[in-house]
Amino acid sequence: MNSQNNDPLARMSLSRRRLLARAGMMGAAGMSLPAILAACGGSSDGASTSSSDTSASGSEAPLGGGGNSLFFENWPEYIDPTEDDLIGTVERFMAASGVEMNYAETYNDNVEYFAKIQPLLGTGKPIDPDIIAPTSWLVGRLISLGWVDKLPIDLVPNAANLRADLQKPAWDPTGEYSLPWQTGFAGIAYNIESTGRELKSTEDLFDPAFSGKIGMLTEMRDTMGLLMLADGVDISTVSTFDAAANAFDRLEAAKNDGQIRRFTGNDYLNDLSTGNFAACVGWSGDVVQLAVENPNIRFVIPEEGGTSWADAMVMPKGAVNRDAAAKWMDFCYDPVQAAQITAEVQYVSPVAGVQAELEKIDPELAVNPLLFPDDATLARTYSFANLDEGVEAEYDARFSAITGA
Amino acid sequence: MTISEPTLDPHSSRDESTAPARRSFDPERLGLGLLLLAGALLVVVGTGMVTGALATLALALTLGTVVALIGAAVLGGPEVRRKLAPYGLLKPGMLWLALFYLAPLVTLLRNSLSTLPSRFAVKADFDWNFGNYSTAFTDFGGQFQRGFGYAAVATVLTIVLGYPLAYVIAFRGGKYRGLLLGLIIIPFFTSYLIRTIAWQSLLADTGPIPSALNDLGLQPVLNAMGIMDGDKILNTPAAVIGGLTYNFLPFMALPIYVSLEKINLNLVDAAKDLYSGSVRAFFKVIFPLSLPGVFAGTLLTFIPASGDFVNQQYLGNPNTSVIGQSIQNQFLVQNNLPVASAMSFVLMLIITVFVIIYSRFFGTDDLT
Repeated sequence: MNSQNNDPLARMSLSRRRLLARAGMMGAAGMSLPAILAACGGSSDGASTSSSDTSASGSEAPLGGGGNSLFFENWPEYIDPTEDDLIGTVERFMAASGVEMNYAETYNDNVEYFAKIQPLLGTGKPIDPDIIAPTSWLVGRLISLGWVDKLPIDLVPNAANLRADLQKPAWDPTGEYSLPWQTGFAGIAYNIESTGRELKSTEDLFDPAFSGKIGMLTEMRDTMGLLMLADGVDISTVSTFDAAANAFDRLEAAKNDGQIRRFTGNDYLNDLSTGNFAACVGWSGDVVQLAVENPNIRFVIPEEGGTSWADAMVMPKGAVNRDAAAKWMDFCYDPVQAAQITAEVQYVSPVAGVQAELEKIDPELAVNPLLFPDDATLARTYSFANLDEGVEAEYDARFSAITGA
Repeated sequence: MTISEPTLDPHSSRDESTAPARRSFDPERLGLGLLLLAGALLVVVGTGMVTGALATLALALTLGTVVALIGAAVLGGPEVRRKLAPYGLLKPGMLWLALFYLAPLVTLLRNSLSTLPSRFAVKADFDWNFGNYSTAFTDFGGQFQRGFGYAAVATVLTIVLGYPLAYVIAFRGGKYRGLLLGLIIIPFFTSYLIRTIAWQSLLADTGPIPSALNDLGLQPVLNAMGIMDGDKILNTPAAVIGGLTYNFLPFMALPIYVSLEKINLNLVDAAKDLYSGSVRAFFKVIFPLSLPGVFAGTLLTFIPASGDFVNQQYLGNPNTSVIGQSIQNQFLVQNNLPVASAMSFVLMLIITVFVIIYSRFFGTDDLT
């Protein structure tokens, strides 16, 4: 397996193919056809379906140790699969721990997933998976609604490897409910062929020269985060709607006069490489991969600041297999195992010590500043504060009124 | 809604029930009564008004109406059976509609008049909150207008494109008719989504269509007509309307083809014998006879196109948002069930009113 990994070209082309698969799925996710996606995700690699009865005794033993099985529902293409002569993390974990694991790639969209679990968790009924990995803002919402259990963190010694900057984050102030799965940044992605110059500021998104060629993300915290940082608002402490009022006005004006071409999910990658977008708000991991094929695609964390996000593992209330979940989290927080995942997904690992391990697998990737940002970069990335329910509702309502939905 | 239009003429049943008052047992009354009772019971269960033991009781009663109907038919004479037969035949459809159409509709109506106690509440409280309807109009008026506007333009365009297409296949297709019809249908074996996303590539700024238009020097003309916006055609209203037209063309062309194909060509010959020219024969004979096809095609195109959001999502821009998209957003992103329900209801009402006016205007008598 090392021989394959040592050939960067082979690995890169593999990643690119997988990236396209993911982009396609995400694009379709925007279409709200979860059934199709579930079918795609379910047939994917690394999944063992041998333990579908995990929630059978959920109501009786909400905090029990549970059996020797585990169900993790994660985003698509977010782990190293078993293919060719590589053994995926799920298989390695099952072999090492003896736990029967069901890893499903059926988590496609935060908002839709929330809509799906709301009727169950909202009425105190458990859901099937033992672990899910929502984006940080949704983790915050689930914690404040009381819909997640505390993690059995004392059974996860490797949790000590959590990166210092991710300990007790805004979305989980006590750090008892979540362990990040992968993290990354939102900044400005641009196609230098279309812009004709390097970009470095959020102001560049409002350059009239790019009218009708600018994209923004439908992920509210990333788009608004960038615009609010450009206003000098510290989004990691923001708590009122007024702090965002100016940024919203600006966004609305840019949308009305046609500066913004479209609000997108992951499908911005397509628009960027075809030249429909000159520049857009984008995510670091995607662009790292896209830039391999198209060197004109660049990514910058704007000088005013970029957002940092995390998808974090949580245990929905009433999840039964706590011991197995602890074993899994411990396994993934071992830098040796985490490096295998990073080599595949190319996001920023939440596990300290991954860089040293990745050097052994893929030295080039191990020095990529977008995977291992330096302190100066980290200093200008901010994670969005946990908004309280009423304020969040105001943000969401205004944002969706502007995005035109 | 099926209750109001059973095949039995209300006059006849009234005549029978009033005139021979000495009759103690009226099978038609029994049939209708059991039908309505079963429908009402299923609506009550389906909307969740009763739960637990009461719901079980209601379902048992529903089953009882079926048993009673069969029992009456078995015990009664041939005359009774003859009179009960229509109600028995209506029953399966009625029960289906009660559970899967009427009950959801009533639930939707209740939701549209409810208020969410908190943002992530699972159930909305029913309190006659008509404010949801004013929100639907004030906040989403533009989306309603665009939704119906785009659908109307696309419907007219599908007639303009689909009518000649159907005409040529029906009257000039000869032995290639089947093949030509197949060519219309085959692309639609591909997913609706994939076809719409394919237009993204065709219309992309550097894609084949804008470059061809540019090479032909048509860009300034199209800009002046408002079809293109600078060098781009993707993410403009024209692209949304074009996508709708493309996606709904078969729904217009096929019904028109069917009605054209049924026309007896001897009628055209007769018109020509009476010294009518080809054009006049078309407008006096063929066009009026093909109107049922146009009518059906218009309904099949306009109604789904009004609620469509796929074309807008992939081919439009944030300034072209339509009502279907807003409803989806209110349901799934904002978790605002009451307002989303009110919007759905308004959309449904507007379409119903449109269909009623339209069918008065064109008449449905010829529509078979």
